[in-house]
Amino acid sequence: MSDASASPDLERSQGIERIRDRTYGGFFVVCALITVLTTIAIFLTLLSDSVAFFSEVSIADFLTGLHWSPNPTGGGSDFGAVPLFVGTLVVTATAAFVALPIGTLTAIYLSEYATPRARSILKPMLEVLAGIPTVVYGYFALVYVTPALKATLFPSISTFNALSASLMVGIMTIPMVSSISEDAMSAVPDELRQAGYGLGATKFEVSTGIVVPAAISGIASSYILAISRAIGETMVVVVAMGAQANLPAVRDGLAGIPYVHPGDVLLDPGMTMTVAMVQIAGGDLTGGSLPYDAMFALGLTLFAVTLVMNVVSDLVANRYREEY
Amino acid sequence: MSIERSEPTFGRVSRLKGTVFEYLSLGASVTGIVALGVLLIYVAIDAFDLVNASPEWLLTYYVTLVLPLIGFCLYSANDRSLIRRTAFALGGGLVAMALTFSVVESFVRPIPRLTWQVAYLFVVVAPVTAYVVFVGSREPIGRTGFGLVGRVLGGTALGLSLIILFTVFDERLWFLAYTLGVLPAVGVLAYSRVNPSSPVSLLPVPVALVGFVAASVLRGPVDVYPTAWLIYVWTLVVPVSAIIAGLTAQRDGETKQTAAIAGVAAFALIGGGSLAAGSLGVSSEHALLVLLGSGVPTVMFGRRVVASDTGRVGLFLPVLLVGGALAGALIAESFGFPAPDPWLDASFVTSSPSRMPERAGLYPAIVGSVLVIAFVALLSFVLGVGSAVFLEEYTVESGVVGATTRLIQINIANLAAVPSVVYGLLGLGLFANLLGLGFGSVVTAALTLSLLILPITVISAQEAIRSVPDHLRQGSYAMGATRWQTTKNVVLPEALPGIFTGTILALGRAIGETAPLIMIGAAHTVFSPPNGIWSKISAMPMQIFVWSDFPQAEFRYGVLAAGVVTLLIVLLGMNATAIILRNKYESGV
Repeated sequence: MSDASASPDLERSQGIERIRDRTYGGFFVVCALITVLTTIAIFLTLLSDSVAFFSEVSIADFLTGLHWSPNPTGGGSDFGAVPLFVGTLVVTATAAFVALPIGTLTAIYLSEYATPRARSILKPMLEVLAGIPTVVYGYFALVYVTPALKATLFPSISTFNALSASLMVGIMTIPMVSSISEDAMSAVPDELRQAGYGLGATKFEVSTGIVVPAAISGIASSYILAISRAIGETMVVVVAMGAQANLPAVRDGLAGIPYVHPGDVLLDPGMTMTVAMVQIAGGDLTGGSLPYDAMFALGLTLFAVTLVMNVVSDLVANRYREEY
Repeated sequence: MSIERSEPTFGRVSRLKGTVFEYLSLGASVTGIVALGVLLIYVAIDAFDLVNASPEWLLTYYVTLVLPLIGFCLYSANDRSLIRRTAFALGGGLVAMALTFSVVESFVRPIPRLTWQVAYLFVVVAPVTAYVVFVGSREPIGRTGFGLVGRVLGGTALGLSLIILFTVFDERLWFLAYTLGVLPAVGVLAYSRVNPSSPVSLLPVPVALVGFVAASVLRGPVDVYPTAWLIYVWTLVVPVSAIIAGLTAQRDGETKQTAAIAGVAAFALIGGGSLAAGSLGVSSEHALLVLLGSGVPTVMFGRRVVASDTGRVGLFLPVLLVGGALAGALIAESFGFPAPDPWLDASFVTSSPSRMPERAGLYPAIVGSVLVIAFVALLSFVLGVGSAVFLEEYTVESGVVGATTRLIQINIANLAAVPSVVYGLLGLGLFANLLGLGFGSVVTAALTLSLLILPITVISAQEAIRSVPDHLRQGSYAMGATRWQTTKNVVLPEALPGIFTGTILALGRAIGETAPLIMIGAAHTVFSPPNGIWSKISAMPMQIFVWSDFPQAEFRYGVLAAGVVTLLIVLLGMNATAIILRNKYESGV
């Protein structure tokens, strides 16, 4: 440090420096352990209240019951989560319908067709899509998208509906699909492309016939991550989808085969697991009541589903990766 | 990556499918961006009431404010082809936009709430201005001008944040903590710099902690305090002046005398300026904090520019902007052009929420957000850097520690994918109910959001630390340095800009989060700013969520839009800071 000290006291300074090194090392270990403690704390918090919940309501009733009304004005409450699962599924499927094709095409364009300049402009702009707060997307869906849909395509759409919320969730998850898929496609070695061109393939054939299959594990893992993100999405659906835990009506269709009309699902309000949690949180939060515990049971379900999807996505990416 | 296709000489291959696919994928790439762009244009129109802006009013400001700005950037870029392209884009865009609108409106249907003038403003003028600002700011003149404007704006924002923090926190406690904790610790640190081998050098952190505890104990019994103004001078202006003197001596290689003069000058500027503002009727405490935030960096930057001899003309940019705005206001006033009545104005950010849309404001929510983010910044920075240093510098590859490290790493990746609403449940169950830190209190919110963004801060800090070249570490170890000395003296200084960038981006995520705040019971509506770290708060996104329940059109298309734009402006400012920081230091490494 300073070259002014003529004869440094090496022994002593060593001792002090070692103490200092140990102290700071200990501090850093504690910091790193806090990340592990967070996971444990999440798990324990969710589990303890869920156990209380499942001692009152059986797991089978929770997973297969068809009625959800945690805070009824009079009489007993129902904790059948199937309407919530259906609502979550509708939003996730519709969002995936938007995000997966657009995200994949975006990744192909960025990785195969775009010039470096176009890529350097498009990639940060796509990141902006992921950086906008989700409550703002909810606001867009409620105030601009729903009226626009009402004025043009679906005159019968209600103020709160699953469609506009799902569209916004889809747009929000595009960058997730595109950036991970693009990484996978860029990692495909150039020799494979050259070999394709050498056999006389066009650029289109190389992109769709060689690059995409070679990167399929990365693409699949990006799909799973995007879907898991859509499942856990809260604010967009809370603001734009409303809060009615109804199962869609089953209609008697042609030739006696019952079916569910997509309009009943998409154009009407619905409720996802996350909306149900937020709705309960609007009431009493001091704990001990059954709806309070139900919130944690839903949280545990959500946590388990996203965790499993994350692990599966990791497995897919690692297990089926082509080694070059 | 791409292979040039030569013309086929054997047979013919249809290119139609490939061409269609290329444009299809290009279309897909811009779909999301265009959709978001349209929505942002509409929300801006609503927030600033541009529907009611008359063409004359728009034209006035276009001529007095936007064109001079573009002219300044072009002058800075000094590139003839850029001037030609800009003029072509502005002129051609004007004609194209007017034509498109008249065709669409006469043949298809009128476009709701969008005139071609406003569309021209957003679709043509805004991107062109952004581009010429980007090009112009890379040249010395532009760099000077925008550097100055950036320092004034950023410094003012910093000063306002300080004011907000001190309206909530007790400045007398801060006075005691500073006098008893910070000052002695700095003294010990200075002593151990001179005598590195003395055991005193272990003491700064304990001394500071003892001082803080003493301060919080003494706050009650002691009841004679200096005035707030004197406290600010003693705890903020004096150290800042000392730092300025030190920097002047170190960075600019000036003599000690000049350095001392610089320090005294800074002291006199802030102190005198705030007293002068006090005599003009502004609160002298507030003036002091704003001057501290904006005046010091601005003056130091200006002094450096004047000394450096390049791009001095750029110092006139603020004059140009302020003059343009004043001239525009004067012209619009004197000709009586109908002006819009924006929802997002000074009264919106300074008043409390209300049932009446005209009187509704965001002030308590802004204070809540600033307060929470200040705590989250502190916590997540310390925890994030600590974890990253452990994972990158202290751990070993093999054995139990190695296995634990791999576990921690996998765990961090999984934490990043946990839905934010689940973190809210953690905050509710653990912090609010079990530990009793209060429903929706500043502490609960800050802890919850810190844990929420912790994975992002750790991962970005790890990347920054990993990018420090290994030979620097080896050099340090070869000199006999310990791991901590290497980390402190070599790794962290190199990695710090990257760490800051990552942390600011993560804070941007935290400031927009709503679901965890709902779960921990943040207030739906508060009418006064919080008065301590235990009081129930609201936050900007929380207030937006609450307002989205109000069905009146004035809320939907007015107050809400203004709230959304405020939130987005704050986010934009934070992200711009992060990007500027990254660009500035990326070129240096």
